[in-house]
Amino acid sequence: MNRRAFLGIAAAAASAPALAACTVSGSSNSSGGASDPIKFWDQPWGSPAYNDLAKKVTDGYQPPAGTGKASYQVIPWNNFYQTYASAIASGTGPAVSTGGGFQPFQFAAQGAIAYADDLLETWKKDGFYDDFLPGLLDANKTDNGYAGVPWQLDARILWVNQKLLEKAGVEAPTDFDSLLAAGRALKKIGVFGFGTGTGAGNNLGSHTMVAMMIMNGGGLFDPDGKPDCVTDRNIESMDFIRQLAREGIIDPACISYTTDNLNAQWSSGKVATGFHTAGLQSQAAAVKDDLVVNSPLAGPHGDKAALHFVNSVMMYAKTPSQQASEAFLTYYLKNIHQYWDAALINGVPVLKSITASDAFTKNPAQVKIVKEYTPISTTYAARGAKLTAGLAAVDGGQALTQFAQTMLQGKTDSKAALTTLQSGIEEAVK
Amino acid sequence: MTNLEGARLSAHPERGTRGRWGRFAAILAFTAIALIPIYVTLFLSVRPGTFSTATSFLTFENFTNIFANTGVLTWLGNSLGVTMATVLISVAVAAPAGYVLSRARSKAVSAYSLLLFIVQSLPIITAIVPLFVLFAKLGLADNLIGIVIVYVGSTMSVATWMMAAYFDSIPRALEEASWMDGCSVFGSFLRIVLRNSLPGILSTAIFAFLLAWNDYLVALVFLKSSEVFTLPVGLQSFFQQNATDWGPVMAVSVVMLLPPALVFAVLNKYFSVGGIGGSLAGR
Amino acid sequence: MTMSSTSLATGLRRALSGAGAAGPGRPPLQTRNTRPSRGAATMLALVAPSVVLLVLINAYPLVVAASQSLHKGSLIITGQFTGLENYTDVLTRPAFWKAAWFTVVFTLVGVFGSWLVGLGLALLLRTKIPAGGFFKVVLMLPWVVPIVVSSTAWNWLVATPDSPVPRLARSLGLGDLLFLADPTLAAITVCVFKIWVSFPFMMLMTSAALASVDHNVYEAADMDGATKWQTFTRITLPMIRRSTYISWILMTIFCVNDFPTIYLLTGGGPVNATSSLVVLAYRTVFQDFQTGPGVAIAFLMTLALVVISTVLYRQIRKGETA
Repeated sequence: MNRRAFLGIAAAAASAPALAACTVSGSSNSSGGASDPIKFWDQPWGSPAYNDLAKKVTDGYQPPAGTGKASYQVIPWNNFYQTYASAIASGTGPAVSTGGGFQPFQFAAQGAIAYADDLLETWKKDGFYDDFLPGLLDANKTDNGYAGVPWQLDARILWVNQKLLEKAGVEAPTDFDSLLAAGRALKKIGVFGFGTGTGAGNNLGSHTMVAMMIMNGGGLFDPDGKPDCVTDRNIESMDFIRQLAREGIIDPACISYTTDNLNAQWSSGKVATGFHTAGLQSQAAAVKDDLVVNSPLAGPHGDKAALHFVNSVMMYAKTPSQQASEAFLTYYLKNIHQYWDAALINGVPVLKSITASDAFTKNPAQVKIVKEYTPISTTYAARGAKLTAGLAAVDGGQALTQFAQTMLQGKTDSKAALTTLQSGIEEAVK
Repeated sequence: MTNLEGARLSAHPERGTRGRWGRFAAILAFTAIALIPIYVTLFLSVRPGTFSTATSFLTFENFTNIFANTGVLTWLGNSLGVTMATVLISVAVAAPAGYVLSRARSKAVSAYSLLLFIVQSLPIITAIVPLFVLFAKLGLADNLIGIVIVYVGSTMSVATWMMAAYFDSIPRALEEASWMDGCSVFGSFLRIVLRNSLPGILSTAIFAFLLAWNDYLVALVFLKSSEVFTLPVGLQSFFQQNATDWGPVMAVSVVMLLPPALVFAVLNKYFSVGGIGGSLAGR
Repeated sequence: MTMSSTSLATGLRRALSGAGAAGPGRPPLQTRNTRPSRGAATMLALVAPSVVLLVLINAYPLVVAASQSLHKGSLIITGQFTGLENYTDVLTRPAFWKAAWFTVVFTLVGVFGSWLVGLGLALLLRTKIPAGGFFKVVLMLPWVVPIVVSSTAWNWLVATPDSPVPRLARSLGLGDLLFLADPTLAAITVCVFKIWVSFPFMMLMTSAALASVDHNVYEAADMDGATKWQTFTRITLPMIRRSTYISWILMTIFCVNDFPTIYLLTGGGPVNATSSLVVLAYRTVFQDFQTGPGVAIAFLMTLALVVISTVLYRQIRKGETA
C-alpha cells in the first residue's frame, strides 16, 4: 500500500465519523399543518446571554390548542438582510421575527408581511394597547396596515464623560454654542469633543448627522415624505459639524472607525462627548462610571428634538397559522420585561410597565433617557412624514454614509454635500 | 559526481555556509514582520475580553469560556466534517476532469477549459441567494451536505486547473507505455498519473481545505440552526449590534487557525517531491 | 555524458513548450488520440461529475443573475422586465468608473505584488536554510487565517491614532498618518493587506513549479558558467512560465472578485475611495437595495474578467506550440 492510498484511507476514515457524528441537517422539514412550530427568528441584541434568555422565553410559550409551540433561532447581524430575504424567497422563512428598523416596511412592500391591525384591535380591547408609550405604535403604520409592533427603541443619545469635562473645566453642553466651547476646552487637554465614526459597519456617524439636522428642526424629508435636504436649518447644522471638524474637535481618523474602534476611544478617554446608543456604558465599560447621559441639546433656534429608531417584531404572511403567530406575539411582548429585569439589553423599552419596573428605575441613565429623550424623539420621518420601505435604503445606503464621511472630512461646502445627499436619497426612495 | 559538486562549490562560494546564514537572516526578518497580525491575534486571545471582569493582564479565561459556555466544539466538529468531505470529493472529481483537460485534444475540451474560467468569474455574493433558493427547494438548505456540495462546486474551476497543470508535467510516454501493456485509460490514469501526482493532489487538497474551512459568506446564509454551524458562522454570534466581545472572538479564531496550520505542518514535506525523471530512467 | 550547450537549449525549448524534464506531457498538436473509441467514452465519464457540479453551482447562479440584471425587482420578487436599462443606468454613474479604476489598481498591485514576494520567498526556501521547513509552514499563515480574524488584527494595528503602526510612524517623524481614514492611504493599506493575504498562495504555486524543474538543467548552466542572475532570468523563469501565467490569471480572478478583504477593512470608504467593483455591487444590492443595478455591476465586472482571462489564456496556449 503506497503512501497516497494510506493517506486517502486515513482521511476517509477520519471524515466519516466526523460527518456522521455531526447533525447533518438543521431544521426539520415542516409537514405544513397548523400545528407546526411557530418559527421565531431573533438577532444578537445584546451579549449571548441575552439570546439564551430569549430562547428560554420562547420555549416558555404555551400555545393555544391546535397550534404548535415556538422555536427560536438567532440570526447573526452580518448579512442578515440576505438571510431573511433568501429564506422568504424560498418559503423557509420565519413566522415571527425581530430585525432591522425598517425591515417591516421593506418586506411589507414586497408582500411578505402579515399586518398587525387585527392584533392591535384585540389589544385595544384588553388594555395591553395602553401599555405602549404614546405614539410608538403608529410608527409602523403603512397605507395597508400596521407592518409590525415595536418592542424596543434604539435611541441616539448624547453622552458625556463627566470626569473629562471637569478636567477641562467646562460644564455639560446645553446647546450648539456650549458644545463648541466644550470641544475647544477639551481639545486643550488632548481629548476629542465630538466622538463618532463612519467606518465599516458603523452607521453611528450617519445617524449623528441626521440627529444634528433633526435637532435644529430640519431632517431628511418634508412633511409629505419627499426628500428635502437642502434647507436652511440643515445647512446651519452641517456648517456647525464642518466647523467642529476644522477645529480638530472631531478626530480625523474617525471616518474609518468601526463601532469597536469608537468604543475603544471612549474607553481610553480619548473621546469625551458624542452621540451613541443607549448602551454606551456597557460598550465602553472602562469608563462606565464617568459616563452621563447629557440632556438633549437645544438647537440654535430653540428646537428640541432627538433621533431614535423603532425596532419592531413583525409577522410574516407565510405562517402555519396567523392565529398562532398573533398568540405568540402577544405572549412574547408580555414577557420582554425579563430582558430589562436581567439588564441584558441596551435598548429603550416601549412599554410603560417596564419603565415603571424596579429593575429599570435602578438605572439612572435609562431613566433619564426615557424621561428626556423619548418624548421628543422621532424617527427619520421627522416633520410628520410616514416611514416607508425606501428608508431602509436611505439608512444603510451609500448616499448617507458618504455624506457623513464627507462632512467629517470638513472640506466640502455644506450646501453642495446636502444637494448630493438629496439626489442620492431620491434615487433610494424611488 | 564529486567533481561536479566540487566545481559548483568553487564557482559559487556564496552557496556555502556564509550565504546560508545570510538567507536565514533575510527570511527571519521578513517572517517576523509579516506575521505581526498573527501575534496580535494570539495576544488578544489571552487578553481579557471587552466585557470581562478579569484584572490580570493576561488570562486564559477566553479559552475556558468558549469551551465551557459556547458551542465551539460542535462548530469545530462540523467544520472538520464539512472540510474533509469537501477535500475528498473535490480531489476525486477534479483529478479525472483535470486529466481530461490535460490529455484530450478536441474543440469540446478547449471550450470546457475556457468555461472553467468563465463560470468562476461571477462573484459569490451575487450567487448566494439564487443558490439558497435552489437548495431550499431541494431540501438541502440549513444542511451540511448541501453546503459541501456548494463548496465542492466552488472549488471545481481552480481544482481542475491545478490538477491539469500538474498532469501536464507528467510525460505522456508513461501512459502510452502502459497502454501498450494492455492497461485501460482509466487504469493507467490511476496507476501511473495519479500515483506520481502527490504534490499536485496535495496542492488541490489544500486549496479545497482552505476554501471550505474559511468560508463564511455562504455558510452564514445557508446554515441557520446552531447545531449545524461551522466555526466561521459560530464566530459571528459574538458580534453584537454595536459592540463585539473580542475575548471569545479571538479565542475561537485561534481554534480556527490550528487545524490548517497543522495540515501544512504535516503535509509540508510532500511539496519538495520534484520531477519524475526517475521513472523513465528506470526503464 | 556531458551536457553541452546544445542539449541545454533543447531542454529549454522542451520546457518552454510545456514539457517536463522527461518529455512532453501535453500531446503535440499533430497527433490525434491513439485510441479514439475507448478514450472518448472514458474521458467523458471522467469529466462528467465536474460538469454537473459546475452547471449547478456556477452556471445556474450566472443565469439567475443575468435575469436579475434585466429586471427591476428585489431579491424576493422578480419585478418588471427593463431590458438593458440597468446597464445604461450603471454605466453613467461616476461611482462605477471610480470603482472600475480602483479595481484595476488593486488587481495589478495585488497580482504582481504577491507574485514578486511569493517568488522571492519560494526561491529563498529552495536553498538550504536552517529551519526551512518551519518557515514554509509559518509563512502560509496569512493565507490560512480567516479573513475576519486578519482584518480585525490589521484594524487593531492601524485604525486609531494610538494604534501601534501610526505611533511608530509618528516616532519615525512621518507625522500623523491616517491609514484608513485618508483616501489615498486607505487605498494603499488595502492593497498591502491584499498582498499580505495572497503571497503564500503565490509562494505555494511557485514552489511547486520550481520543484518540478529538472535540476540537470541547472547543473548544465553551472558548467557553462552562467551567473546566478542569468540562470534565474534565462532558465528558471522561462521554465516555470506556464505555472506563472496560470497563477497570475487565478490571482487576477481572486483580486477582482475579492469582497471580504476590502469590505471588512474599510467598508469601501472613505467616500468610495476603496470601493472596487465587487464592493460597489454588494453595497448597491444589499445597502441601497437596488438589486437590478447592483447585479448589473457584478455582471459587467464578470464580463470584463472573462474577456481578460480568455485573452491571457489564449496567450498561454500560443506560447506552448513547440
